[in-house]
Amino acid sequence: MSEDMPDFSNVQSGSSSTATKIYEVVSGDSLSKIAKREYGNASEWKRIYEANQDIVKDPDKIFPGQMLKIPSL
Amino acid sequence: MQTKLAFGLLAALVLVLGGCGKKAEAPTPASNPAPTTTAAPAGVTVGAITLGNALGANKKVTSAADSFAKNDTIYASVDTTGAGTAALKAKWTYQKGGKETLVKEDTQTIAPSGPATSEFHVSKPDGWPTGDYRVEVFVADKSAGTKTFSVK
Repeated sequence: MSEDMPDFSNVQSGSSSTATKIYEVVSGDSLSKIAKREYGNASEWKRIYEANQDIVKDPDKIFPGQMLKIPSL
Repeated sequence: MQTKLAFGLLAALVLVLGGCGKKAEAPTPASNPAPTTTAAPAGVTVGAITLGNALGANKKVTSAADSFAKNDTIYASVDTTGAGTAALKAKWTYQKGGKETLVKEDTQTIAPSGPATSEFHVSKPDGWPTGDYRVEVFVADKSAGTKTFSVK
C-alpha cells in the first residue's frame, strides 16, 4: 500500500438482505455461530435450522460446503 | 381413330385415378427445431444504489446522503429485481490523487423470488479519514453500479 494512503485494516463490515441469503458452511461453523454472524443473535439458530430441514437433519451436524438458506428477519 | 382416341383417354384416366389411389406419403415431420427463443435466464438485476448513515427495517437507507461524518457507519442499499441466485459484491475504495486503495470488499449470495433490497455497510472504529470514496456493486463479478461519496 502506498505510504500516503490511510490504513483501512480495521474497517468492519456486514451485509443483509430482504431476500433469503445463501451461506456456505465453512469448517468450524455451527448454526449458532452463523446466527450470531447473520442476525447478531446466536439464539436465532433455530430459524436457520427450520429453513434448512431438507438438508440439515441434526442441528448439531452441519458440514463444510453445505449451502444454507438464511431467511431474512 | 375414335376408338384409339377413346382408348387413349381411358388409359390416361386410369393412370390418373390410379395415382389418386396412392397413399399420400406421411408428411415428413417438420425439421424445424423447437423455437429457439431461449428464455432469458432468470437473473437478478441491480436497480438503485443509495447511500446513507442509517438503515430502516426494509434495508433501505432512511435518508440518502453522499457526504458523511468521520464516525458514521456507511450503508449502501441495493435494490434488485428478478429471481434466482446471485452473488452481490460491494467494493469500497478510497480515492486520492488519482489512485485508489481498497477499504473493504464484501459479498453476499441472495436468492430473491422478486424485488428485494440488500445492504452492505462499513464502519471504522477510529474514524474515517476525510476524503473521497467510492462503492461499486457487482452481480456475479460484473459491475452493476457505482456511487461516490465523501467524508468530511
